Amino acid sequence: MVALSKEEMLNLAQNATTTAKRNGATEAETYVYEGESTSIGLERGQITKSSKTIDRGLGIRVIVDKSIGFAYTNILDKQTVVEDTIIKAIHAARASKPDPDWHELPTNKTYASVGKTYDEKIANLCPEDLVNLTSTMLNAAIQTDKRILAIEGGSGAGYLSTAINNSNGISAFDRGTMIECSIATVAKEGNKVTPVCFEFNAERNYNVNPEWVGKEAARLALSALKTKRVETKTTKLILTQFALQELLYYTLINAVKAENVQRNQSPFKNKIGKRVASENVTIHDNGSLPGGLRTSMFDGEGSPKQKTLVVEKGVLRNFLYDNYTAKKEGVESTGNASRAGYLSTPNTEATNFHITPGSKTKEQLMAEVNDGLIAYYLQGAHSSNPVSGEFSVVATPAWKIKKGEIAHCSRGIMLAGNIFEVLKNVTMIANNERQIGQLVSPWILVENVRVIGN
Amino acid sequence: MKDVLTKPIDRAVKFGAEYAEAREETLFKTMLTMKEGRVEAAKQGVEKGVALRVLVNGAWGFASVGSVDGEILTTAVLDACKMAKAASLRLKNPIKLAKTPIVEDQVKIKPKKNPAEINMEDKIKTSSAINKSTLSFDKRVKSCTIDYLDLTGSSAFMNSEGTHIEQDKLYVWARITASATQKGIFAFSREEIGSTAGYELFDREPPEELGKKLAERATGQLEAKTPKGGSFPVVLGPNVVGVFVHEAFGHLAEADLALSGGVLANNLNKKIASDLVTFYDDGTIDGAFGSFQYDDEGVRTKKTALIKDGVVVGLMHNLETAQKFNAEPSGNARAEDFRVEPIIRMRNTYMAPRDQSLEELIEGIQFGYFFKSFRGGQANVDGTFQVGIQEGNEIVKGEIGEPVRNASISGSTLETLFKVDAVGKDFELGAGRCGKGQTAFVCDGGPHIRVKEVMVGGSA
Repeated sequence: MVALSKEEMLNLAQNATTTAKRNGATEAETYVYEGESTSIGLERGQITKSSKTIDRGLGIRVIVDKSIGFAYTNILDKQTVVEDTIIKAIHAARASKPDPDWHELPTNKTYASVGKTYDEKIANLCPEDLVNLTSTMLNAAIQTDKRILAIEGGSGAGYLSTAINNSNGISAFDRGTMIECSIATVAKEGNKVTPVCFEFNAERNYNVNPEWVGKEAARLALSALKTKRVETKTTKLILTQFALQELLYYTLINAVKAENVQRNQSPFKNKIGKRVASENVTIHDNGSLPGGLRTSMFDGEGSPKQKTLVVEKGVLRNFLYDNYTAKKEGVESTGNASRAGYLSTPNTEATNFHITPGSKTKEQLMAEVNDGLIAYYLQGAHSSNPVSGEFSVVATPAWKIKKGEIAHCSRGIMLAGNIFEVLKNVTMIANNERQIGQLVSPWILVENVRVIGN
Repeated sequence: MKDVLTKPIDRAVKFGAEYAEAREETLFKTMLTMKEGRVEAAKQGVEKGVALRVLVNGAWGFASVGSVDGEILTTAVLDACKMAKAASLRLKNPIKLAKTPIVEDQVKIKPKKNPAEINMEDKIKTSSAINKSTLSFDKRVKSCTIDYLDLTGSSAFMNSEGTHIEQDKLYVWARITASATQKGIFAFSREEIGSTAGYELFDREPPEELGKKLAERATGQLEAKTPKGGSFPVVLGPNVVGVFVHEAFGHLAEADLALSGGVLANNLNKKIASDLVTFYDDGTIDGAFGSFQYDDEGVRTKKTALIKDGVVVGLMHNLETAQKFNAEPSGNARAEDFRVEPIIRMRNTYMAPRDQSLEELIEGIQFGYFFKSFRGGQANVDGTFQVGIQEGNEIVKGEIGEPVRNASISGSTLETLFKVDAVGKDFELGAGRCGKGQTAFVCDGGPHIRVKEVMVGGSA
């Protein structure tokens, strides 16, 4: 299957919208998606598998007298199936109940171009390139030390394109690429096995560093071999990006979504202009961040992506909106409607959730800690209370810091607290920024975290 | 479908593949999201595609396309073969597969209430009823989200050994979450239900009772205190036992993870738990959310004993790991849909009941906790687990005391299994979805149990 061209995608979208209007939809919106991905996988120290997936389809959202229906299909080569899908969406809307808060679909906007989201080299990659990349990463890991086992990992390259068309005049196309490599390692000595230590690198352009990924995963696993118990106490904690992403995804990021505020599911209701974090903390949601993993021209409804100030020096400034939640309050969408390909209706989601870096290096951040911990991976963050921000997680593992240096690893430590209190206790932010999922952040140092030792 | 799938398989064999399989799926889905009674969108979808998997020189190649066109399938299977060949270049230990019986079968599902034949209006009515009973229970309940899914359709599986299986698919699922608030305290509750039998799921789980359960669970936490951190004896309800069996033990018993440095690989036929502990992973329970007839490698599902009276007796296998362990394939290879390859997944995983009543489990405890239902759980291959609790109580002098909120338990799975010192006679199985890169529909459960001591994490 050859990738659809811009014109083919735009035509598919436009025809579906027009057909829906002709069949009785008050408003209609078509989202066409195509994703192609190639990957090479490693298991237990060797490259064992490869995969190529081509997935394309369209999803159509129709509004009939303020009732919303949606249908999708991946069968695009049969006009009758596409037409059936449109009729199904209209049926679904008619079966549904009108929503008095429905206003209208987004209206035509101009889009700014976004940088560094498409690289021809990734689009034209061949499987052998990925085999070499994976092999470089694997060798870097296992040549670090005999005790290192590479459990799993691999590399992948993807091309995806989207076209959107709605009956309010929106018609747009965007495409992007992504390349990534990742490895999970453990260190084994006698009967002792460390927890899984994981590293990865994902980029929109062909500039991943597989050697660094392999070495770093191996370094972490080796440093987890020497363990000692730690005592229960309230302490300083450095959160690396992995740990921070886990904690924020289920708590802060939910709290700043307008939908949760409107539904009384956010502790930030009526808190715009109020202090919600320490003055060291400034956060933007930036859907147009050059090279960002979640960067694109427009969101899942065709609203332009943008840079939104969320927290300014600790003060809450804005919530994140999609079209529906914005129109409900009479404001503009912040371009935060997200879709899982053609299969879903839009949901509010952060794009690149960017914590402004500080001026200190990570070594200087470590030097601030006379007695504390550094956490890389957390277990159980998804069981945080999403409304209150309370969490109770296991650090698997965490490292003890003494006098600014890593002293030893410790396993089974529980960290408990409330993420909103943690944010108020951020005393320093480093400058070692990187992106993990939605989060773009450096390491942060927080005080007064409850550690339940072993 | 046989003709369509035969060609790419033959083409792969001609290329030189040791093994090739093709799996076509046609899936119809209905989805609903309701928030405080508002239908966010009523959704319907149809999708069709083919997954092709080949083993060339001991390495896997996989391709997925959303098409059944002969030419497209031929191109895709050749892509898979060439990629596998490229991937095999540095292979030290080529992958081999266990032999399984050649099967020719057709599996038809005859539900009492086929969700595909129930109209959208009625599905919306069911969700509305759940919403109403949740929100009307107590005015402190502020929100209610209902996600509903039904999936019907079929799959056709063929491989180069001669197996040909056509199966119907049917799933009905709902997840309900509610939140309650009072004086700056936010509480949150969730419940999932699911079935492979049919829409009669909602006769067994009446909407009114579901809503009441959710609302009670959320408002109950508003009055609750946070637990003390430290080691305590605990009694776990079937819902928490289920997530423990699944997360803390089940994943370790997936043979791919066991091989990847997991703690179970060296513990086969060894005692790793108290005598009272018996675990199964069972794909044969009628109508259960994790049940099916054949897995996505064409292997018939079965009831697999994982631990018997404290001894590890089995692991969950696919064709590849069964060959490595010289074991029987257990029918655990599952793929979420045609977009992905089958991997080892659980089915219905549970602890077998024994003979004690809940009162007997609680009566000896001076101070401890009773944890009834979980919010989430996770485990690491090194054998540490964490389970977040949404609903729990203190146990004081052998009696159930005040409610606690935001607790969690954690520890080493193997140490904890030895500390199981009493197992109840009741039994419950609950539906859920398990994430391992792909989503699988599963059940887990068991009786009430007592654990001598486990680490309890409270909030600060």
